[in-house]
Amino acid sequence: MQTPRDVVIIGAGHNALVAAFYLGRAGLHPLVLERRPVAGGAAATDEFYPGFRCSTYAHATAGLAPKVVSDLALDRHGLELIRPDPAVFAPTNDGRALILYRDPTHNGRSAQSIAQFSNRDAERYPEFARTLARLAGVLRPLMLKTPPAMQAPALGDLWTMLGAGRAMRAVGSKDMFRLLRWGPMAVADLVAEWFESEPLRATISASGIFGAALGPWSAGSGALLLLRAAFDPEPASGVCFVRGGMGKLAQAITGAATQAGAEIRTGVEVAGIRAREGVVTGVTLASGEEIAAKAVICGVDPRRTYLILVDPTELQPDFLGRIRNYRSKGVLAKVNMALDRLPSFSAVSNLSDPARTLAGRIHIGPEIDYLERAFDASKYGGFSTEPYLEAVVPSLSDPELAPAGKHVMSIYAQFAPYKLRDTDWKAQSEALGDTVVKTLARYAPDLPGLILHRHVITPADLEQQLGMTGGHIFHGELALDQLFSLRPLLGWASYRTPLRGLYLCGSGTHPGAGLTGASGANAAHEFLKDWKRKDRA
Amino acid sequence: MASPRYDAIVIGAGHNGLVHAAYLARAGRKVLVLERRRVLGGAAVTEEVFPGFKFSVCSYVVSLLRPEIIRDLDLPRHGLEILPLDGTFTPMPNGDYLWRVNDHARTRREIARHSPLDAEAYEEYGKAMAEQGRFVKPILGMTPPDPSRLGPDVIRKLMFLGRRFRDLPEPDQYNQVQLMTMSAVDFLDQWFETDVLKATMSASGIIGTFLGVRSPGTAYVLLHHYMGEIDGAFRSWGFSRGGTGAISNAIAAAAREAGAEIRTQAPIARILVKNGGAAGVALENGDEFEAKVVSSSVDPRRTFIGMMEPGVLPEDFVEQVTRYKFRGSSGKVNLALDALPDFKCLPGPGPHLRGAISISPSVDYMERAYDDAKYGRFSRRPYIDCVIPSLTDPSVAPPGKHVMSCFVQYAPYHLKEGNWDEQREAFGDTAIDTLAEYAPNIKSIIRHRQVLTPLDLEREFGLSEGNIFQGELSLEQLFFLRPVPGWAQYRTPIKGLYLCGSAAHPGGGIMGAPGRLAALEVLKDLRG
Repeated sequence: MQTPRDVVIIGAGHNALVAAFYLGRAGLHPLVLERRPVAGGAAATDEFYPGFRCSTYAHATAGLAPKVVSDLALDRHGLELIRPDPAVFAPTNDGRALILYRDPTHNGRSAQSIAQFSNRDAERYPEFARTLARLAGVLRPLMLKTPPAMQAPALGDLWTMLGAGRAMRAVGSKDMFRLLRWGPMAVADLVAEWFESEPLRATISASGIFGAALGPWSAGSGALLLLRAAFDPEPASGVCFVRGGMGKLAQAITGAATQAGAEIRTGVEVAGIRAREGVVTGVTLASGEEIAAKAVICGVDPRRTYLILVDPTELQPDFLGRIRNYRSKGVLAKVNMALDRLPSFSAVSNLSDPARTLAGRIHIGPEIDYLERAFDASKYGGFSTEPYLEAVVPSLSDPELAPAGKHVMSIYAQFAPYKLRDTDWKAQSEALGDTVVKTLARYAPDLPGLILHRHVITPADLEQQLGMTGGHIFHGELALDQLFSLRPLLGWASYRTPLRGLYLCGSGTHPGAGLTGASGANAAHEFLKDWKRKDRA
Repeated sequence: MASPRYDAIVIGAGHNGLVHAAYLARAGRKVLVLERRRVLGGAAVTEEVFPGFKFSVCSYVVSLLRPEIIRDLDLPRHGLEILPLDGTFTPMPNGDYLWRVNDHARTRREIARHSPLDAEAYEEYGKAMAEQGRFVKPILGMTPPDPSRLGPDVIRKLMFLGRRFRDLPEPDQYNQVQLMTMSAVDFLDQWFETDVLKATMSASGIIGTFLGVRSPGTAYVLLHHYMGEIDGAFRSWGFSRGGTGAISNAIAAAAREAGAEIRTQAPIARILVKNGGAAGVALENGDEFEAKVVSSSVDPRRTFIGMMEPGVLPEDFVEQVTRYKFRGSSGKVNLALDALPDFKCLPGPGPHLRGAISISPSVDYMERAYDDAKYGRFSRRPYIDCVIPSLTDPSVAPPGKHVMSCFVQYAPYHLKEGNWDEQREAFGDTAIDTLAEYAPNIKSIIRHRQVLTPLDLEREFGLSEGNIFQGELSLEQLFFLRPVPGWAQYRTPIKGLYLCGSAAHPGGGIMGAPGRLAALEVLKDLRG
């Protein structure tokens, strides 16, 4: 019998790699097993058409946790972040456009653009930005903390809560009540308390619905706005690209993890997690090979972990029932396009520098009702005929991605529900692509003629290619009942699982908000606590 | 000023105002209740709208009235009699139906007809929700703490809540956090598979709320409707003999017996403030009444913006009151009938007509009804909850005739096009057309009809924007955030001015809890 490895990590998504780095740094030699031929999960760059490369899945980070960036020294491993400014370009129905810049408080450029629609909003915008930044400041430290066990608070948990309580009290009672109110609110109500113009309301509220099965009128979308702000407090919520595409981020994290002592094997599919009497003993590969391990950290989503990888007889029926009820039906699709040249948006034709204006997030969703209608169709198993889109042209700030003069465009399209009624994604994938192009063409009429190649990735594709259950980009719905101490389940938010020696480190754990690395870092922290305790024992 | 001096003046003789007055009077305080309308009761009122036909014009069923209030005020002695409302009947478009009754065995068989699994789950669900009701009960009897002022009282209350939660068995902890955060449908999806069952149950999650059954936060409203208790049985609903006005009358009788004075047709022009404290009220006819305390049972908008001079209140507070959400979402259609409606799926005048009749055939139907409202029009096919109280209490209609009360949702207060005065009858027609799809004879048996839009509820009953709970029961407007953050202890920035209506914790329905809790706080302050 082979000697067991100390730790096996399942999946080489960014969180798993971050966890591998921290374990390596602590002197362990984790073995990372990845089913796909490359490490990185949703952080990938592919040449999807000769000469055109783009971030296949995620096209921007959600604000990598700064601690992760510095601990892993990602810049030394080749990570270069690009933050286009202006951050957001949001064309409206009447041919105008709202343009929001970074740093909303120190210059008047955003205000000038907002003033086209409302002077009052232009005046209030900096105050909103400051308020959001203050609240984000209270939440930020919580992102890199293990959520307290609400159901049976221990001393450490009380400390975390007290810390959060103190941080809250430090910002004053007004902000404290804001935090308590904003979380459960509908983001549409939240922005309406501040602003009167539809383009601004809609552009900001997009943060509250992105990737979620929520419309702006859904209660709880306020919590998502806050969660996103914790990583990127600018209300414009601009994009943060990685030079060379997201694959470069994967390479940088892989480099850091490897250097720290992790071993990464790609093209190796884990078929099961083995356990005996409630203690994890290793993994079984699809090839039939078994790898014994003292501990397993799993970067895949909770449903796949518990319902497919773990033998159900190792788990309590109640627990399994709860996991089955964990919601992870995605609503986000992705369209990548190779373009012959930069499309002409009608709203920028009168601006001096269209290339610069379009370099950030292009927000398609000019009104709250537009966004809500886009959501409506998905409730009944259809995709919206006028979807909410977040498009980017990364080749504007990173010309190497496309041949000279040509461009790549990457579009998140929402709402495209995982489960279609009376049909499936195989039959509808191109129809979705057409809908996205048609929607964009309303604002950039020459776009359809510029498309050299188009690649549609539906939630079904996300599930099949990346193993995300339900095609959910966050490994499970970011709803009030699945956040913080409740993510993935009440009682199991500490990255530990009912199996001793098995840990979760993916987006299905707190904070779970996209490409931040926080889940991986937190999971590694908890794992190492247990590991050291075991060593001493 | 020659008017008598009172300890307390209560604005509004709705059920909460009356409960409030009764508790103050019982503590020996001299109390005057002033009501704008000619009848007391507020939204808990019985009126003979058409000769011989008496309607519970607004609120039409009872369950939430706190047992301690019934006991303290000895309401049965003052004429309160609750008659059982037996079951919920949901007709379906395919000719089938779902009919749940209070008889467990029978309901089990009926649900099993749709899904044997659901029949099992239904029992479990009932037990689980009763547990949740028990858990929440003390919160309904508690003045919310103010978490921004960490004093011993606040810490004691938060610790109490924390300990109670910790001591719950694990499954109940799960249910509790889910009820506080989920949508009604997501919550019910975990228990049941029968669409019509989920649709009908989820309806409790949206009543009086501008949210759809799939909107997070509606599971809480579901729970709110489960807090009811009649004779110790959770989740039982009933009629009050003589209509819901009889409840108000019983409370008024208890208040009067304790010495409270109640005047109707006494609309208030403004609340008098002297040296930063409440000093009394001035009526529209110019009469002034002085008192140490003024308690308003009307909603915050009417109280703070409608009845106070500008500039008296801190700007910040006024801003918070301004953004307090009302957004009425429902209307009422009251019908005087010559005969009973005849449902295609279960013909004849059977016992299924004695309970609630719910037009909620599917979850998608409910959600689509909401979609209409989101964009500013009333539902083309609304959710309707009907009762025919004359079957249980013949005194409310002439012999052989009936009254039917239909609660219709969604009817958004803010219409995108047109106004409610133009659309009132179209709204009534839509409700009748909807009912006629299931009971085609309805159109031929209507003798009279009264249509109340959210605008009518506002004008006639003083409910701002027609919200039946005096403000939405959304998570950000509950507990220590109700009605506005920092002012959930029934007190206001004006010393001696209190809120005691449904806009205060724990909210709406014929519950009486805000009136009672506010009275306890007033008495505490009066004792000094």
